Amino acid sequence: MGHTTLVEPSPPVIRVAGFHKSYGKIQAVRGIDLEINRGEIYGLIGPDGAGKSSLMKALAGVLTFDTGVVEVLGQKIDSERSAEQIKGRLGLMPQGLGLNLYPELSIQENIDFFARLRLVPEKELAQRKQRLLEMTRLDRFRDRPMKQLSGGMKQKLGLICSLIHEPELVILDEPTTGVDPVSRRDFWGILAELLREQGMTALVSTAYLDEADRFHRVSLLHEGEVLAKGRPDEIRALVPGTLVSFHAEPQLAALSRMKARYPQVLARGPEITVFVEQADRPAALHEVENALKGLRVERADAVAPELEDVFIALLRRLGTGGGEKAGAAKDPDFNQAARPAKDVLAIEADQLVRDFGAFRAVDRVSFRVPQGEIFGLLGANGAGKTTVIKMLTGIIRPSTGAGRVAGADMLQAGQAIKERIGYMSQAFSLYQDLTVLENIRLYAGIYGLSKTETRARTGWIIEMAGLAGFESTLSASLPMGIRQRLALGCALVHRPQVLFLDEPTSGVDPVGRRRLWETIFRLSREEGVTILVTTHYMSEAEHCDHLALMFAGRVVADASPSEMKQQVEIEAGRLLELETGQPLQALQALLQNGFPGAAVYGKTIHLLSRNPEADAAQIHAILTAAGIGLDSAVPRPLSMEDVFVYRVMALEQLQRQEDGKVTL
Amino acid sequence: MNGEQPNRPFVARAAVWYRRMQVMTVKEFLQLFRDTVVLGFMVYVFTMDVYLAGSGVSLELKNATTVVHDADQSASSRELMYRFRPPYFKLDGEIAHLEQGVRLLDQGEEMLALYIPPHFQEDLRNGKPTAVQLQVDSTNSVLGLLAAGYGARIVGQFGLEAALLRLGVAGDGQENLPIIQDDHRAWFNPNQNDAWFMSISELLTDITLFAIFLPGAAMVREKERGTVEQLLVSPLSPFQIMFPKILAMTAVILVGTALSLFAVLEGVFHVPLQGSLTLFFAVTTLYVFTTAGLGMFIATLARNMAQVGMLTVLIFLPMIFLSGAWTPPEAMTYWMRGLMYISPLHYFLDASFGILLKGAGLKNLWDSILAIVLIGSINFGLGMWRFRRQFQ
Repeated sequence: MGHTTLVEPSPPVIRVAGFHKSYGKIQAVRGIDLEINRGEIYGLIGPDGAGKSSLMKALAGVLTFDTGVVEVLGQKIDSERSAEQIKGRLGLMPQGLGLNLYPELSIQENIDFFARLRLVPEKELAQRKQRLLEMTRLDRFRDRPMKQLSGGMKQKLGLICSLIHEPELVILDEPTTGVDPVSRRDFWGILAELLREQGMTALVSTAYLDEADRFHRVSLLHEGEVLAKGRPDEIRALVPGTLVSFHAEPQLAALSRMKARYPQVLARGPEITVFVEQADRPAALHEVENALKGLRVERADAVAPELEDVFIALLRRLGTGGGEKAGAAKDPDFNQAARPAKDVLAIEADQLVRDFGAFRAVDRVSFRVPQGEIFGLLGANGAGKTTVIKMLTGIIRPSTGAGRVAGADMLQAGQAIKERIGYMSQAFSLYQDLTVLENIRLYAGIYGLSKTETRARTGWIIEMAGLAGFESTLSASLPMGIRQRLALGCALVHRPQVLFLDEPTSGVDPVGRRRLWETIFRLSREEGVTILVTTHYMSEAEHCDHLALMFAGRVVADASPSEMKQQVEIEAGRLLELETGQPLQALQALLQNGFPGAAVYGKTIHLLSRNPEADAAQIHAILTAAGIGLDSAVPRPLSMEDVFVYRVMALEQLQRQEDGKVTL
Repeated sequence: MNGEQPNRPFVARAAVWYRRMQVMTVKEFLQLFRDTVVLGFMVYVFTMDVYLAGSGVSLELKNATTVVHDADQSASSRELMYRFRPPYFKLDGEIAHLEQGVRLLDQGEEMLALYIPPHFQEDLRNGKPTAVQLQVDSTNSVLGLLAAGYGARIVGQFGLEAALLRLGVAGDGQENLPIIQDDHRAWFNPNQNDAWFMSISELLTDITLFAIFLPGAAMVREKERGTVEQLLVSPLSPFQIMFPKILAMTAVILVGTALSLFAVLEGVFHVPLQGSLTLFFAVTTLYVFTTAGLGMFIATLARNMAQVGMLTVLIFLPMIFLSGAWTPPEAMTYWMRGLMYISPLHYFLDASFGILLKGAGLKNLWDSILAIVLIGSINFGLGMWRFRRQFQ
C-alpha cells in the first residue's frame, strides 16, 4: 500500500451516487448523484423538504439511508463502523440557530468543550481559539453565555465549534437561515476566508437562492431530486433569458396581458417583471414593449435574470408546478372604481414607544400607510419590527405614543381594531390537529360570521388557496406552501381592512412564495386591502409599494424601494462588480488601498463607487501592482439587500462611535 | 367592511358571543379527541390506576414472614409459635441462633423474629415469670406497629390462658372471671375493606391531577405551537380563550370519573354507592372547574409541556399530602393542619367519602361544599387574573 503513491488527479472528497432515503411512506430523497472536490465550497440549494438535511446527515454518518453509494474522504459509508472512522476528520453544524451549542455556557466554554471532546491538545487549542475568535470578532464577548448572543453571533460560534479540530471537511446545514442580511454577509466572508486558509472542503446548504453565488458549484434540489447542478453561471445558462421590468398604467391590465403571453410574470409593488426566454436584452425589451402597446409604460428595463427565475423556469420545463396558475384562477374584471381612494390612511403610527424594563425596544416610530398599499417593514433581528406589529395589532400596549389602525384608535378601540384586521405569523399558527375545513370554520366563528357568510367565505378560501381536495386533510400533513395559503385564507376569513403578515414566506419554496405574493398583490389592488409585511428575504422587499427600515428600535429610512436605491446611489455611488480569479487576495489589496467598503461576494467583489469608470481604472492598477488579474469590472443595479446592508452597516458604525464616546 | 358596528343591538352581540364560545369549545374537544396519547393516559389512569390502587395497595398486615428461635423445644413453645399464622403471619420455620434472625431481618428476608427462651414451659408451669422476645422490621412503620401489636395480643392471650390453666379455671370457668369483652362494629365500610377507601381516594386524586394538568397543557400547547398569537389578535377576550378550555376539560374529566365509578369502583370492588350520584357529580364538576384555575395559573408560568408537567407535580404533591387522604388532619402538627384547610382536595375528599360511603346529603356536607366554592373561586380568579395580565 505504502508504495502506491501515484499522483492521481486528487480523488473527490465526497462522492454520492443514486442516494435514496425514505421516512415511512414519504420519499425524502429520490436519487441524488454528486461529487465534491478538495477545496471546494459546494452548495445544496433548495426549499424546506427538498432533502438537503437528509443527505447531509447521511454524509456525516448520523443517518442511515436506503440505497446508493456514499463515499466521504475515500471511506465508503455503509455501516456505523465505517462512519465512525471518518467522524474525526469532519465537522458538522446542524440546522437551527445555535442548536448544537449549550445556551448556559459562555463562548469560551462552548469552544473548550468541543475542542476537548475532539481531543485537541491544550496548547493548540489556545492558539486556534484566539485566532478564530479574532477572525469572527467574537473575542470581546468571550465570557458571554451563548443564550445572550444574537442569531448571527450564534452561527459564528457554531462555526468555530465545528472547525476547532481542523477537520478536512465541514458540513453546514442552513447556517444562514433566520440570520439577518448583514450577519449573513459577514458569515459568508468569514467562512470563505477560513476555508481558504486551512484548505478545507465545505458542503453548505441554504434555502436562499440568491446565495448561490457564494459557492464554487451548487446542486439545486427540489422535492428530493437534483434539478440542476454545476457552477452558478452554468446553471443560469441552462435557461437563457432576460428579466424585463417596467411600470405601466393601469397596472392590472398590463399584468393580465403579460400573463396571457408569458408564464413567469410577477407584480412587485408598482413594478411588473417578466422573464422572457430571449437572451438578447434589447430584443426582449422590444418584445415586451410591443405586447404592451396602448398602455402607458414607464421605466422599462432589461437585466440578467436571477437564479430564482431560472429555478422556476426549470421546474416549469419539468412540468412540476412552475407554470401553475396563481391565485383566484379567474381573471379580474378591472373595475378601477373599486379601488379605494389612496388618501385614506389605513395605518397611522405616531411616535410609538415601547419599553421592556430599561430596554427601549421601539423608539418614537412614526409612519403612515394609505389604504390599499403594500407596506414593508424591514430590519435585522431585534430591530423592533415584531414589537411594532404587536402594538398595531393590539397584543401589547405602547408605553407612549398613539396610532390608528383601520379607522379605530389604538388606545381606545382595541377591540374594534381586532375585528377589522387579519394577522398571519411566520410560524404556521393554525391548528395542526384540525382539518382544513375545521380551521376555517373555527376562525369564521371567532370573527362572528353567520352560517351563510361562513359558507360563502369557505368557498372563497378553498378556491383562493387552491385547497380543493384537501378539505378534510389535517393541516399538519399539508405541504408548507399550501399551509401558508390556508393560514392566509383564515386571516382573511372576515374580509379585514388591514392585513399583517409577519415573515409570511419563511420556509416556503420559490414557487409557493411567488404564488403567495401574487395573492397579496391582488388583495391590495383588487380588494383594497392594506398590507403590512415583514420579511427576511430582501428580494421580497421589492414587492412592496413602500418600505420602512428599522434599526435599534427606530425607523431610519422610509421610502419606496426604488427611492431607497436611488438614495444609496446618490450617497455612496453605484455597485461595481469585480471578477477575478483570486477574490480574497484582491479584497486584501483593495481594503489596504482606499476601498474600505469592498466585500467578497462568491467569486466576485462588490463595492460602491461614485465614479465607476475612474474607480475601475484605479482598481485595475492596484490589482495589477499586486499581481492579481482583473477579469472584468462592471456596474450592476443595486439590490434591496445591498441597500439594507449599506444602511445597517453605516448605522452600526455610527452606534459604535457613539458607544466609544460614552466609554471615553 | 364586515359591518361590525360598535352599537349593534344586544341580541346580536350576545349571538356572536355565544357563537365564539361554541366554536372554541368544539375546537377543544376536537383537539383532545385527536390527542391519542393524552386520551390513552386518561383511560389508563381512570381504570387501571384506580384498580391497582384499590387491589394492590393495602395497609393491612398480611402474611408477615416470621422465623422462630425456639430454645425450649417444648409443647408450650410450639403452641405459641403456631399461633402466628395466616392471614396475618406466615411461619417460615425455625432458626438455630438468634443472630441468624437478626441477619434475616437486616437482609429484609423476614419481617419478624420470635425468640422463645429455654425453660419456657417449665417456668410457665412453675408460675415463674418468663419473657419472649419479638423483633420486628419496622421499615414500614404502619405494618411494623401492626405486627408488634398483633404479636403482643397473641402472646398476651397465650400468657392469660397459661395463667388460668395454672389457677385451674380452664374451659368453662372462664366466663365467671372479670374479663372485658372487646367487640367493635365498623360503620360505613363494615368489612374494613381497604380497596374501597384506596380506590375512591385514588380516583379523587386522579381527578385533581387532570383538573390541573389538562387545561394547563391545552394552554401551553397553544403557546408552543404559536397558535395563541392568532387568538390574541382576534377579537376574543382572554375569558373566551380560557373558559372553553376549562369547559371541555371538565366534561372529559367527568366522563372519566363516571367510567371509573361504575366500571371499577362499583363493577370490580362493589363499593356500595350510598348517596346521591347527582350530588357527587355536581360537587365534582364544581371542584374540577375551580381547580382548573390552578392549571391556567401554571400555563402562564410555563413555557413548554415539560414545565407544565413539573409545575403540576409541584402543586399536586403537597395537595395530596395535605388532603387527608393519607393522614387525618388531627394527626398533623398544628401548622400543617392550618395548611390542610386551604387544600381544596381535603374538602373534596370529605364531601366525596361522605356521599359515596356514608350516603350523606347537602345537610351534612354544606360546609365542605362551601369551602370548595370559596377556595375554588380564589384559584379560578387567580388563574384568570394571571392569564389576562400576561397579555397586557
